[in-house]
Amino acid sequence: MKRDALLDELSARSLDAAWLREALAPASPYGERDFAELAPFRPGDETRARARAERIARIAEAFDAAQLDALRDVVRNVPDAASAIARASMGDTLADANLLELQRFFDACVRLDGLAGDCRDLPRAASEAVRACARALELGRAGTFGFYLADTFDERLTKARGALARAQAEYDAVRGRASAAVAAALGREIAGSEFIVMRSDLRGPLPPGVRVAREAPTYVLCELDADEASLAALARRDDAANAVADAEEAVRARLSAVIRAHAAALDAAASAFGEADVLVAAARFARAHACTVAEIGDAVSFAFERGRYVPLEAELQREGRAFTPIDVRLDDVAVLTGPNMGGKSVCLRTCGFIALCAAYGLPVPAVRARVPLFDEIVWLGAGTDAEMGGLLSSFAREVVRLRDVLARSRERRLVLLDEFARTTTPREGRALLVAVLERLRALGARALAATHLDGVSAAARARHFAVRGLRGIPERPPTEDLHAALVTLAASMDYTIEEVTQEGTRRSDAIALAALLGLDDAVTASAYDALER
Amino acid sequence: MHARVGDSLLSLAQATGLPSLFVVGTGKNVGKTVTMRAIYEACIARGIAPALTSIGRDGEAIDAGDAQPKPRLFLRPGTAIATARDVLPRSPASEMLALSDLRTAAGTLVYARVRHAANYELVGPPTASGIRETVNALANMAPYVIVDGAIDRIAALAGGNDAIVVACGASAANAMDEAVADVRALVRRLRVPRVEPDAPQVRIDGALTPGMAAELIRANERRSVVVADPTKIALTGKAALHALERLDLRCERPLRVVAVTAASIGRDRTFDPAAFARAVAEATALPTFDVYAAEAA
Repeated sequence: MKRDALLDELSARSLDAAWLREALAPASPYGERDFAELAPFRPGDETRARARAERIARIAEAFDAAQLDALRDVVRNVPDAASAIARASMGDTLADANLLELQRFFDACVRLDGLAGDCRDLPRAASEAVRACARALELGRAGTFGFYLADTFDERLTKARGALARAQAEYDAVRGRASAAVAAALGREIAGSEFIVMRSDLRGPLPPGVRVAREAPTYVLCELDADEASLAALARRDDAANAVADAEEAVRARLSAVIRAHAAALDAAASAFGEADVLVAAARFARAHACTVAEIGDAVSFAFERGRYVPLEAELQREGRAFTPIDVRLDDVAVLTGPNMGGKSVCLRTCGFIALCAAYGLPVPAVRARVPLFDEIVWLGAGTDAEMGGLLSSFAREVVRLRDVLARSRERRLVLLDEFARTTTPREGRALLVAVLERLRALGARALAATHLDGVSAAARARHFAVRGLRGIPERPPTEDLHAALVTLAASMDYTIEEVTQEGTRRSDAIALAALLGLDDAVTASAYDALER
Repeated sequence: MHARVGDSLLSLAQATGLPSLFVVGTGKNVGKTVTMRAIYEACIARGIAPALTSIGRDGEAIDAGDAQPKPRLFLRPGTAIATARDVLPRSPASEMLALSDLRTAAGTLVYARVRHAANYELVGPPTASGIRETVNALANMAPYVIVDGAIDRIAALAGGNDAIVVACGASAANAMDEAVADVRALVRRLRVPRVEPDAPQVRIDGALTPGMAAELIRANERRSVVVADPTKIALTGKAALHALERLDLRCERPLRVVAVTAASIGRDRTFDPAAFARAVAEATALPTFDVYAAEAA
C-alpha cells in the first residue's frame, strides 16, 4: 500500500495509517503483491476511486461475514507459485515442490471461483489455462493436498522403478549374505556395515570380507568389505537408479512444458487471485465497520454525517464503550473548539481517516459522506512536534513543519491543525493561527483547526464548530482510580459537534476536569479563585 | 549400531507414552545420528513408519565443517521427513506432503514422504519455535516423530511432549572423565524434578543464569529454586553441577530423559567401550548403551 505524496510520515502516524493498512492486509503472497502496488487516487481520478469503493461495497453486501471469512480462508496460506511459473516460462524443469505449489494454487483458484458464485465483482482466477494445467498435474495428486510423480504419468517410469526395486533387492541380498558370513565367522550378530570387535573376543585374524577402519588398544573398528559380487550388484543398482532419475526428469520436463505453454495465462490468473484477495480484505473491512460509499466528486466541500474514527472505535468496543459519531462540513477553513478530552483531536482524525479511505477507493466509516480527492493530507501541531528532535523547541518544530508544508505546491489539500501554536503566548499564537488559516484559504485548502484560543474563527472569518462538552460537572470517583475517572468523564461528556453561530463566552471546564482527574482540592479551589480575579 | 540397542531405546522411549523423541548430544560427533538411525531402524522393524527431522543438518555424506565422512540416513518407504527443499533429492522422487515458510540453512522447509528407499539428508529449522512447529506438523503425518537435536538448541524441548535420549562420546571431550562429567551435568540438568506445590520456593522468570545461580548460592538459599522447565537453566558443565549440588533446583514442567548412548570411538580419541559405558551409566543412573559395541551398561 503506497502512500505516495498523499501522506508524510508524521501525518500517517497521527492518522493511524498503519492501522488501516493492517485492517486491509491481504492473506496471500499474490494479494501482497497487488496490495504493495495499491496507490491513493489523485484528484482527477474520482470516477475510478468511486467505482472501486462501489465494487467493494457490493462485495461486502453480496456476502455475509462468514462467507467473507471463507473466501479469506481459501486465499490464506496458498503457496506462491509465481516463481515456479516464471521458471517454467524460462525453460527450467520444475522440481516436485514447485509442482505441489502449482497444484495447491490451481486448487485454490477453483475453490475461490466456487465460493465467489455469481458475484461479478470478484475476478475469476480459475481460467481455462488453470484448469488445463490442473488436469495435467492431477495424476500426481496424493491424498488431499500432496503431490507425487506417480507411475501413472509414464509407463517408462513404472518399468524403471520396478527394475530399481529388483536391483536394490539383489544388492541387499548380496550384502546380507556377506554380513551373515562375517557374523558366522565371528560367532556374533552384526548389523549395518560398521561394527567393533573386542580384541579379547578375537581368536586369530579377522574373517575375510572385513576391513579394519580403526584400531584401538582394546578393540578394532571394522567395516564390511565390498567383494566383487557386491560391487557388481551395486553397479546394477546405480544403473537402475539412474534410469529412474532419467524417467522422472522426463515426466517433470513434460509437466513443465505444459506450464510454460500457459505461463502468460497463469500469470494473469495469479494477478486475478491477488486482486480477489485484496478486494475480499477491503470488503471485510467495509462490512466490519459499517462503511458506506462516499460521493467522491469534484465538489469543493468535504462533509460527512455520523463519521467514526474506526481505530478508536475498535479500541472503545473492546472496553465495552461506544464511539459517538460526528458530523462535519468543511467548505474551506474552519475552527473547532471545545473542552479538553472532548474529542477535538478525534474529530480531526476522523476527517483525516475518512479522506484517507476515500483516497484509496474504499467505503468510508460514515452514514453519508461527500469527499473530494486530495493531493495531500497534512497533520500539524500536537503529536508531531516531538518527532523532529534536534535543538528546536516545540514551537520551532511546528513552525518549521508548517514552513515545509506551505512550500510544497499542492492544488488540493486537507490540513488538520491540532492546537497549532499552543506553546507560545495566546495573543501571538492566535494571530499566527489566524494568519495560517487565511493563507490556507488563499491556497484553496480545506483546513480544520482545533484550538483553545479565543476569537480565531471570527478573526479568520472561518466557520466555527464546537464540541458540546460536559453536561455537568461530574462527581470525582471515591478512589484515585484513573480508569474510573475516565469512565465517569466519558459518561458526562457530550462529544457532539455543532456549528457555533453566535460567538460568546465559552465554558472552559479545564479546572473541573483537573479535579476529576485527581488534582488536589486546594489547588483546584485556588484555580477557581484565580479565574474570578 | 546393533539392532538390539535401537530396539531397547525405542522401547524405553515408547514406554513413556510420549509421541516424539529427541536425541540430544553433549557435542558434535557423539553419535546422535547413529542413535537416531538405530531407533529409526527399530521403528521400521516393528512396522512403524516414523517421521524424522533435525535441528541443523544430518545425513550428509561429508561434514561441511571438517570434510570428514558422516553417518548417512538410509530411509525406507513410508517415512515422513521435514527437510530443506534444496537437499531433498530429485530422484528418487518423494511424495510432497506440504510446504512451509520456515527457513533453514538450505532453503525453506518441505514435508515429504519417502516412496523409494534411498539416502536422505535432513536440514531442519534452526530455531526452537521452528522445530516445535515442525514436530507438531509431523505428528499429524506419522505415528511417531524422531528429532536429531542439538545441545545448543535444547530450548526446542520446552513446551513439548518428548522423550529424550542423550548421546555422549569420545569426540566431545579430551578424556573419559571429562566426557562423563559433561554427560552427568547435562542429564542432571535435563532431569531437574518437578517442584512440590507446597514447598517454599523462589520462582525464576526466564532463564537461571550463572550470575543468578552464584547469587543464590552465596545467599545460602534453602528454598526450592523453580524454573519453568529445565531448558531455562542456562548453566553447563561444572557450573551446572555446582548449582545442582548446592541449590534445590526444581521446575514446573519436567522433561523425560529415558536413556543415554555412549560413543566410545571419536575422531581423535577412543575410550574403552565397556569402561566408558559403565562410567556413564553410573554417573547418570540411566540405561546406557554403547553405540558401536552394541552393549548395554
